[in-house]
Amino acid sequence: MEKRYPLTAAQNMHYQWIRSYATQQVSGLSVVAAFQADVDVNLMKKSINEEYRRYSCLRLRFTKPDKKGVISQYVSEWKKQDFPEKDLRDMTMDEADDVMQKWAYETFDGDDIPMSEFFIVHLPDNYNGFFVHMDHRLCDSVGIAVMVNDIMGVYAHYKYGTGLPQEHTDYEKVLEQDLKREANPKRLARAKKFWDSQLELYGEPVYSDIQGMRVLEESRRRHKNPDLKAADIEKKDLQVLVKDYALEPENTARVIEFCKEKQVSPTNLLLLVIRTYLSKVCDGQEDITVENFIARRSTQDEIFSGGSRTLCYPCRTVIPADTTFIDAVRKIQDVQNHIYMNGSYDPELVRDEIRKRYGTPEDTSYVSCYLTYQPPLPTRNATSGLPSHIKWFANGAATKKMYLTVSHLPDGALNFSYHYQNAHLTEKDMEILYYYMMRILFRGIEDPQRTVGEIMALV
Amino acid sequence: MEKRFKEIIAGYCTLSADEITNDMTFRDDLGLSSFDLMTLLGDLEDEFDVEFDLGADEHKLSGIQTVGDAIDFLEDYVN
Repeated sequence: MEKRYPLTAAQNMHYQWIRSYATQQVSGLSVVAAFQADVDVNLMKKSINEEYRRYSCLRLRFTKPDKKGVISQYVSEWKKQDFPEKDLRDMTMDEADDVMQKWAYETFDGDDIPMSEFFIVHLPDNYNGFFVHMDHRLCDSVGIAVMVNDIMGVYAHYKYGTGLPQEHTDYEKVLEQDLKREANPKRLARAKKFWDSQLELYGEPVYSDIQGMRVLEESRRRHKNPDLKAADIEKKDLQVLVKDYALEPENTARVIEFCKEKQVSPTNLLLLVIRTYLSKVCDGQEDITVENFIARRSTQDEIFSGGSRTLCYPCRTVIPADTTFIDAVRKIQDVQNHIYMNGSYDPELVRDEIRKRYGTPEDTSYVSCYLTYQPPLPTRNATSGLPSHIKWFANGAATKKMYLTVSHLPDGALNFSYHYQNAHLTEKDMEILYYYMMRILFRGIEDPQRTVGEIMALV
Repeated sequence: MEKRFKEIIAGYCTLSADEITNDMTFRDDLGLSSFDLMTLLGDLEDEFDVEFDLGADEHKLSGIQTVGDAIDFLEDYVN
């Protein structure tokens, strides 16, 4: 029998969302990778089968929950499989994307079943490749990028006789290291000390919303508690919509140059921009929390072993209006550095501690905005220079009110992808948010000695 | 300690421990990001059973550029 393992903190985060929102849809992850070239379908299928062997996280399955709801994971045996072909040539690319978007809404329901699937796709304008849909506990976005790159490398090996890409690191080897690290009592104690110190310094966090103070005030009325500091979250209508904006390459270059010159990370700069906007629309509130996704993929083994390594931690800062922009970034950097150092701590423990201390009501949150910044991705194999159609599809169900993913586009632009809950937000809200974020960003980097209060007044 | 330290750093880059020299910089020569450096500090705490104080050591930590700088810093802690 295959060896059973507990979930890592990163996998447990997704599992808890599945349980809390009662649908596996919140853990769906889908990508199409197609290239403008004829594809040998049999060789592509052979390459994907080979990837199932090489990248064993694709074979992960989960056991039935025990009485306490706890599940285990295991890597199932490799078996050759067939992958259905989907012909979408007789439509526009937008229509083909709409069809694939519907596939992304599908769920993997059941225990001890495969949690990933591939289709060979034929798209308009002779784009051909594959669509992959899987549970997020198998892989995160960096892991997917590594996988796509590897499949193309394996395909090139079969098709053109190029060298077979280097093997991935064994998933179970890295999993065992992760579980050992997470269980290290000294590490756990150090991390808990940091998180507790934040609460001892600042007390209970307070909610801030893109739509201003009225959201928290409505929750206070609903709970008949004028001192409530957390706001209700949406549990029923999880439909998510997506709006993308691209920051032009020349302006992106200015941002990246600022980061290099001041030695600050783009993540910390973006966190400051979001929190400044929230502060502005929440009557100058100084105590703001934004949740930030980080992926522990620092070592070569971690980068190339697959698995879900993404964790979401609250970045809470209390920044008075007279703080300069650059000092505010440094303040965020300091908090983030502590989080990175303790990056294997289960974020659920952070939330448990807050709930325990302050009696936070069920189904409420201190956070409305979530951020992921994706740096340019590491690759081991040269990607082909062929025109490509690579698109990530939303799973259609958001556990978060607004989730912003910032990533680099091939032309040097920075893409801002806003995933927002349709029940509460509109495209207009996202347009306003992006507009103000850019104004705050550029007022800040053009004169980092400006205070955040001045910037809020200027924009 | 230096040997073990370089073995750990080797896990973060594409060089072997033997290829890592004390004058190499973390960012330019080894390609580590600020996130990687903080993750590395966490791993060093586990490996050498020490606890860094990011607040008190901010000045020293921000001055670490090379592998040799980090070894000196770590030796102070371990000793």
